[in-house]
Amino acid sequence: MSKFNISFVFLVIMLLVSACGGAAPAATEAPVSTEEPSVSVLPATEAPAIESADVSGQLVIYSGRAEPLLQPVIDAFKAKYPNVEVLLKAGSNSELANALIEEGANPQADVFITTELFTVQSLAQQGVFQSYLPAGADQLPAEFIGADNLWTGLTRRARVIMYNADLVSQEELPTSIFDLTDPKWKEQIAAAGSTNGSMQAQIAALRQLIGEEETQAWLNGLITNEVTFFGGHTDVRKAVGAGEFKLGLVNHYYYHLQKAEGSNVGIIYPDQGEGQIGLITNATAAAVVNGAPHVDAAQAFMDFLVSPEGQKLFAEQNYEYPLLPGVELHPDVQPLDEFRFADVNVVEAAQDFEATFDLMETVGLP
Amino acid sequence: MTTLEVHNLVKRFYGTQQSAVNDISFELMGGDILALVGPSGCGKTTTLRIIAGLERPDSGVVRLNDRVVASESVFVPPEKRGVGMVFQDHALFPHLTVSENIAFGLRGQSAEQVKKTVGEMLHLVGLLPLAKRYPHALSGGERQRVALARALAPRPVLVLMDEPFSSLDADLRMEMREHVRHILKSMQATVVFVTHDQDEALYMGDRLAVLSNGQLEQIGTPEEIFHESNTRFVAEFMGDSDFLKGRVTHSGIQTEIGLLNQVVDLPSSTAVEIAIRADDVGFVMDGSGNSLIVERFFRGAFNLYRLRLDSGQTLHAITDHTQILPVGARVRAFISAEHPLTIFSS
Amino acid sequence: MATHAHRFNLLRLRSNPISPRLAIAAGLVAIFVAVPLVYIFIRALGAEPDAWQRLFQSRIWKLLANTLLLVVAVTSGAMLTGVSMAWFTERTDLPGKKIFRWMLAMPLAIPAYIGGIVHLALLRPRGGYIPQALESIFGQPIFTPSPLGFYGAAFILTLFTYPYVYLLSAASFRSLHASLEEAARTFGRSPLQTLFQVTLPALRPGLAAGALLVALDILAEYGTVALLRYETFSSAIFVQLSGRYDRSAASVLSGILVVLAILILWGELRLQGQARFTQMESNWRPAPPLALGKWRLPAFFLVLGVVSASLLVPVVVLAVWSIQAFLDPQTMAAVFRTGSQGFGSYVWNSLWSSGLAALMAVLLSLPVALNSVRYPNRFSRFISRFCQVGYAIPGVVIALSLVLLVNRLLPFLYATPFVVVIAYVLRHMPQAVRASESALNQLSPSMEEASRTLGRTSVQTFIQVTLPLILPGLLAGGSLVFLTSLKELPATLLLRPAGFDTLAVRVWMWAADGFYTQAAPAALFLVLASALPLYFLLRREQIFK
Repeated sequence: MSKFNISFVFLVIMLLVSACGGAAPAATEAPVSTEEPSVSVLPATEAPAIESADVSGQLVIYSGRAEPLLQPVIDAFKAKYPNVEVLLKAGSNSELANALIEEGANPQADVFITTELFTVQSLAQQGVFQSYLPAGADQLPAEFIGADNLWTGLTRRARVIMYNADLVSQEELPTSIFDLTDPKWKEQIAAAGSTNGSMQAQIAALRQLIGEEETQAWLNGLITNEVTFFGGHTDVRKAVGAGEFKLGLVNHYYYHLQKAEGSNVGIIYPDQGEGQIGLITNATAAAVVNGAPHVDAAQAFMDFLVSPEGQKLFAEQNYEYPLLPGVELHPDVQPLDEFRFADVNVVEAAQDFEATFDLMETVGLP
Repeated sequence: MTTLEVHNLVKRFYGTQQSAVNDISFELMGGDILALVGPSGCGKTTTLRIIAGLERPDSGVVRLNDRVVASESVFVPPEKRGVGMVFQDHALFPHLTVSENIAFGLRGQSAEQVKKTVGEMLHLVGLLPLAKRYPHALSGGERQRVALARALAPRPVLVLMDEPFSSLDADLRMEMREHVRHILKSMQATVVFVTHDQDEALYMGDRLAVLSNGQLEQIGTPEEIFHESNTRFVAEFMGDSDFLKGRVTHSGIQTEIGLLNQVVDLPSSTAVEIAIRADDVGFVMDGSGNSLIVERFFRGAFNLYRLRLDSGQTLHAITDHTQILPVGARVRAFISAEHPLTIFSS
Repeated sequence: MATHAHRFNLLRLRSNPISPRLAIAAGLVAIFVAVPLVYIFIRALGAEPDAWQRLFQSRIWKLLANTLLLVVAVTSGAMLTGVSMAWFTERTDLPGKKIFRWMLAMPLAIPAYIGGIVHLALLRPRGGYIPQALESIFGQPIFTPSPLGFYGAAFILTLFTYPYVYLLSAASFRSLHASLEEAARTFGRSPLQTLFQVTLPALRPGLAAGALLVALDILAEYGTVALLRYETFSSAIFVQLSGRYDRSAASVLSGILVVLAILILWGELRLQGQARFTQMESNWRPAPPLALGKWRLPAFFLVLGVVSASLLVPVVVLAVWSIQAFLDPQTMAAVFRTGSQGFGSYVWNSLWSSGLAALMAVLLSLPVALNSVRYPNRFSRFISRFCQVGYAIPGVVIALSLVLLVNRLLPFLYATPFVVVIAYVLRHMPQAVRASESALNQLSPSMEEASRTLGRTSVQTFIQVTLPLILPGLLAGGSLVFLTSLKELPATLLLRPAGFDTLAVRVWMWAADGFYTQAAPAALFLVLASALPLYFLLRREQIFK
């Protein structure tokens, strides 16, 4: 009466299936780099010029930048390095940061790209990255290179308010992010939610600028004002562009992207008045992961990101402020030196980042 | 030659106190058909399944052709016993044709040999034209015959049949009995046949084993079982007997409807019961008789009457189909048997 | 035949309380299923008190209320829609009911989030196609109901979950013996009274089980609620996972969600046993359809409305978008890239991962099903029920658990697509277990015994007799797993390695960024790829024969 033998056959089959399956991708999808991961600090001037034909294999990028905002740069990189197969995983900064921490002993990614500096700084302190100064990066402003060259800044962006010019007149425009808690904007504002890196960074910056309590009051004000929080800024700009909302709290280039689609939208660089906090800016950054399986490709990609060619793409296609001096701004974008900045210490903000998440959770930011 | 020996078989089911099979022993000679008969739950199917190897006995020994196939230390799985089984629901493989079903048990033979055997079997059961059909396209009787052919094809040491006719309707059942018995006899098969139907057991069995509550009540030829029941259960189950109370006297047994002229080896005035069938009872109309006609059943060839004696006992009696007596009439009943009756001391 | 099988089963029940090796195999499967669940509880209970406190002070009560509200609303909506649609197609002379039967079941091929994307694009306040069209016609904004928030989420989820209830109740209406209603009529009940006093109560056990399945589906739903901005446990967990470094809050929320789901699943499993009052008997004949009379046309338009909203509109809109995508070279280029970012690679990834998940789920379900059907006892029944716990573990929770577990215990599997496959298997195993059990239940054990007495060992018997005979049932189970894996969004989003995008992921990422035309070909393909196995499954259903 034994049916039991059968079940064993099936368990064995199952194990075989999963074992065969397990072996296959390891062989095809993640070939181990023959190069030892470089741990020495390579000053930019000594960085050997990597020939494009020499670099081949895969490049695994974790990107907090939304895919459409990175794809043109990847395409240009691939045109230059045709032998590199780029595998992209786009998500939120913290989701990917989480993955990097989890994968510490078993690294999967080569390059990490974020939309703000606090996450890279925080990960750098946790030893997630290896030191690498891309070729030409020595020309970047020093504040946008991480300690020990653990990360490199790419572009700068400003936190602004965009508005639908059909729905809002010039006179009633807000001038400060604190105007957004004014009841007259109730249900009229869109913003990105707690998973969005730029939003997280703005809250972290505010905590440093005005303190925990004031920041909490501002967030509560937004929630009371029934601000609609989206997963990302593309939704925000489209909704404002379509007139679904009057105002949107976004990065500056979302205004330009929406304008380019033909919407009648306007932009406000907030908090420029006397006694106001100034314009909050942040920067995107990239880093090479410690133990990256494909260091060569990773370094080539880093070099490309800060090269005039790469920087130009960010500026032209995505209206961002390139960090490399001499790369021209998109003609529609107002130069940053016209504005007064909020003064935020990146290292401190990164150290307090955890408290920012607690704060978002406490107020229940969606 | 003894083909099957069963010794002191015991099978208890999980979570029950009572044994499904309790100390059953019997033997079966080659070429004989043994009918295991008893009411449902008596243990007959379990006994059959133990012989087939589909159940493991708790204790006892099963021997097939002198080889121990089940004991406390030995258990030969069903596929190694060389028995053929016909199931209650026929269990034909629906994904195989009639020929493929029959060929299923023919292993280790050349394709030609298999084809020949299948042809012979199909011929034997009269299904040659249906060889390529699938089971769902067969009638009940045809399925029955395919199941039999499939079980017989490998020339098993022993054929086991578990209520094989129970899924057929009454007419077909009668027809199949004759047909199947003929086939089994022509093959000289040794058969254990399980049924709950007394008529079927009497018809099919060379010998009968009557089971009740897991125990073997009696084993013997149909005539022995019918006429010389060892136990009250056998008499009641096999013969539709009524039990007439009586008391032993020196000249026979005194009953409410007269003296049975049969000497028994019991002390005088012992209370006994006589197993008595309807054909052993006669009655005549008599206004001062000892019983009352309670009911009449028309049975075609005869009429069956239920009588109530004045003491309250019930007896059945038959009359010719032309003789119809009214319900409620008073009659005088008497013992009309001309052969010895079975007596049980109560 | 059925009664014989039943009798054998009873005998077996008493004679073979356990088959040790089969029980061990089934137990191993149960452990495989249990590990992620247990791990979530350990993580939730091990979370620092701070996390619990923060959550209890702010989020949990609101999330609980939101989630339960949505579950109740959608379940009621699905019951109402499903039962009434079934009544129309099975018990009335509704015109075109043959076609409607198919069209009412087919929305199962459309993931709710894709339906949500379409409805959102159409109805979005001020920005949607319909409000804009109305505005351009009338020269001023016209109010249209918003698909966002609670009402929108309830509406859209109802549209894409009612087919579960529809199929169950249509089958019950169909199998209901005509004499049941005739008996009620002879006892002086009007047709309407008969419907409410006899027919519907007779369908109750099956319907209740269906309702609980819908409820479980809603608990697990991520894409639609995220899209429509209605926060439930699932979406909050997802936000936690992508919003914070530390995962204790996500674990806490997951733990609570799973407890909630297990309660519902427990009810469902209890009902499942008595799921049928009615059964097809040999002398079954259908009850005569009710003449709708003057209500024929309104009924037709009502059913057409449901079919339009849940099937026709989404498919037509996706088709139009796809055509637009094909006509626009830039979108075409974005859709049909080469390499790991090409359309072909998404299709291939979707198909092989779901296919492998289906195969594995069916294989794993076999020892469990064999054990519980051939050796029914308390232990084997427990194992079988336990293996259905996947119903109660939403995709996000499985993802959370696997991310943590696989990286620690099976690092070589980490960041391979096989983690995604494992998630599919865990999540959709219940469907395979149920299908395998029902296939085995329909196979009389005497079939296997006959094979044994004809000289086959248990393994040979399984391969030559049991397997061929239960194969259609196994295929059905596999198709179900395949179908639902194809649609699975949150687990795929969270577990996929870099470069491993499925159709579901692509649709979601593109649509979330508002690139609807770019997402449309993938969405349309996903729907078509789901429709095929669904067609196969539905053809097995009584009502389509």
